[in-house]
Amino acid sequence: MKKFNTNSNVYIIVYSTVMVVVVALLLAVAALSLQQRQYANELGEKKQSILASLSATDENYDDFIESRVLDAAGQTVGEGDVFAMLNDLQGSFDAGRFPVFEARDGRVVIPVTGSGLWGPIWGYVALEEDMNTVAGIVMSHKGETPGLGAEIATQKYQSKFVGKTIFEGDDFVSVTLRKGGAKDEAHEVDAITGGTKTSDGVTAMLRTSIGHYLPLLRARREAAAAAAAAQAAAEEDEVSDEVNMENAENNE
Amino acid sequence: MSSKNFKYLAGPFSANNPVIVQILGICSALAVTVQLKPAIVMALSVTVVTAFSNLVMSLLRGGVPARIRIIVQLVVIAALVILVDQVLKAYVYEVSKQLSVYVGLIITNCIVMGRIEAFALANKPWPALLDGIGNGLGYGLILVIVAFFRELLGSGTLLGWRVIPESWYMAEGGFYANCGLMLFPPMALIIVGCIIWVHRSRNKDLQEK
Repeated sequence: MKKFNTNSNVYIIVYSTVMVVVVALLLAVAALSLQQRQYANELGEKKQSILASLSATDENYDDFIESRVLDAAGQTVGEGDVFAMLNDLQGSFDAGRFPVFEARDGRVVIPVTGSGLWGPIWGYVALEEDMNTVAGIVMSHKGETPGLGAEIATQKYQSKFVGKTIFEGDDFVSVTLRKGGAKDEAHEVDAITGGTKTSDGVTAMLRTSIGHYLPLLRARREAAAAAAAAQAAAEEDEVSDEVNMENAENNE
Repeated sequence: MSSKNFKYLAGPFSANNPVIVQILGICSALAVTVQLKPAIVMALSVTVVTAFSNLVMSLLRGGVPARIRIIVQLVVIAALVILVDQVLKAYVYEVSKQLSVYVGLIITNCIVMGRIEAFALANKPWPALLDGIGNGLGYGLILVIVAFFRELLGSGTLLGWRVIPESWYMAEGGFYANCGLMLFPPMALIIVGCIIWVHRSRNKDLQEK
């Protein structure tokens, strides 16, 4: 049998066309059939991250968390698909849409996004009811250097943020990652040694992303302050009433 | 298994190791060896890709036009890597997050294409499959050795577990400090160099005159 000429132009063109079509079909089938599972994995991971930032991984997400979408003024603009927004958080921010997650116990979780040294970094910041103290933080990255910048994704590093406050009086100061060690215990965390660029990225991410939610945070803080003031006033009234009564009794 | 086939499988571990004898795949050996875990997962993923790309190319070897064979190889490798990536994302999401960018790096790993060119295109599918597995594991062996030293001396941990006690560190009043240089790629090159040195001094036939 004469050997088939595998170097003719026609053969090469037919061969490469068939090969490309076969490979494309194979990959398309694989991508489509696995898409559902991949999406479920990503969704589950986001929900777990949100619960982890609240240290409430035992809770059922759907029972514990309520999500809302805010506009730039901090007003609710319906529910929307918050998880789709998380996939392109920067795009949502640019479009003036800010998803927020509220826990049943009054704490809120704010999604944050930014850039590290090699690629995007993102995370979730949970704030206590006072809208000031960090209850927890969860951060992830696309490709920071293992052992250096990638340390931001470790629980050990993230635990350093707990208890830091983002307001100084009424001014928003965010939390800063300080090279050479934190000087201001209330608002600073040690930067990662050898991971300065990533640390700077985290600082910028926290400042800008949380900054988008200031209207909501300020409104909550004012409401809380007003409520506290009202309660204090009410208590004072009671005290003075009691004093008056005592005085009256004494007079008798 | 015949002794010849066994040689295809075991040869790449030492006498014909892709990293320290053929000097292939050095770049990824620098990139993924800061810690042991990504190194192990990378080793396994590369083994899967070298094994199946060798197998597929060996099956196709009669019909591949010689003039576009490199492109055909690339398409096969890239398709396999994408498949591996998709399957990891769907079934072992945690591992795929660990690997992140490294999966894509497999496509550029010279070992995969090197073994197709040097072996799979001229041999039957079964030996080609064994050769692929052997080379993937031989590559993985070096990766794991390098990552072992880099993680132990650079971070004081192994697979994330603390090996060097916290109390030894200067910050805790001890005498010890991690070697920061270990975390950077040049140190991987130096460790690979040391492995080559030890290996050649034990295998005299590999020494150049």
